Amino acid sequence: MRTMGWLLVLVCATSLPGWTQEAASSDAATAVRTLEHEWVEAQSHNDNRALDLIFDNALVYIEYGRLVSKGDYLLRIRSAKPQLQQIVMEPMTVRTFGSTAIVIGSYRETTVKDGKPLPKRWRFVDTWVFVQGHWMLVAAGAAPLLK
Amino acid sequence: MRTLVLVALLACAGTSSGYAPGESDSDVGAKILAMEHVWGHAYVSKDPKALERILDDAFVNVDSDGILQTKAEVLAEVRVSTVLQFLTESMVVHLHGNTAIVTGIFLIKGMEHGKPYAQRERFVDTWLCKDGQWVSIVGLVTRIGQ
Repeated sequence: MRTMGWLLVLVCATSLPGWTQEAASSDAATAVRTLEHEWVEAQSHNDNRALDLIFDNALVYIEYGRLVSKGDYLLRIRSAKPQLQQIVMEPMTVRTFGSTAIVIGSYRETTVKDGKPLPKRWRFVDTWVFVQGHWMLVAAGAAPLLK
Repeated sequence: MRTLVLVALLACAGTSSGYAPGESDSDVGAKILAMEHVWGHAYVSKDPKALERILDDAFVNVDSDGILQTKAEVLAEVRVSTVLQFLTESMVVHLHGNTAIVTGIFLIKGMEHGKPYAQRERFVDTWLCKDGQWVSIVGLVTRIGQ
């Protein structure tokens, strides 16, 4: 998952089928897309201060079938030890609904276990809400791509 | 029929906040939880009509295999559902103005190719008060213990 990112490679985004280009090109979509990259960047440096500004206090995060709060998430980042891990972000699509934005995308994660690389691919969904002049992450989750 | 009536009663008031006059957070939360139950019931009844009204046309779901499903694909799945029982637990609604996040767990039991199955999965759904009506715009499901 993105919670342990160490070495990061970002890939430029393209659209998924069924999602309009005009939504993707809006200012809101651009802002949210930038925040998605800031999230990955902050996490790669265990920068909890930056993450604290991106995450809403009521953030709910789902990973491996578990429900994780903002506090739990930040605690784990704070205590995370650097690992040899690579996360490659794949195309993501942003759809805006006024003050709400949905991001859907995927990423490839490679961890190393017993000296061997373990590749895995995930699909993620993030929900952002515009609050007091800022886009805040209020919900996120990822499911492993098994097929 | 009862399901359709229920959905008709779940309209938000069309305010920018998604609240009707005098409506509390718990009232809104109860409305949305009721729609989550309608959603699950659709799989048991194999009747997508009620579900069609509570999913936004742009709705997208990510299933527990990470596969993207459009609204049309979800409705098609409901029509051929093998689910016999759909139970929910630990559902919580987090309100953010006209947006609501629901987290919870569902347990489904069914029969496929003559064999019974059971799955327990955690989900997160995003709801939006759009044109006076609460609709779900995205969902994600992950297997517990995966």
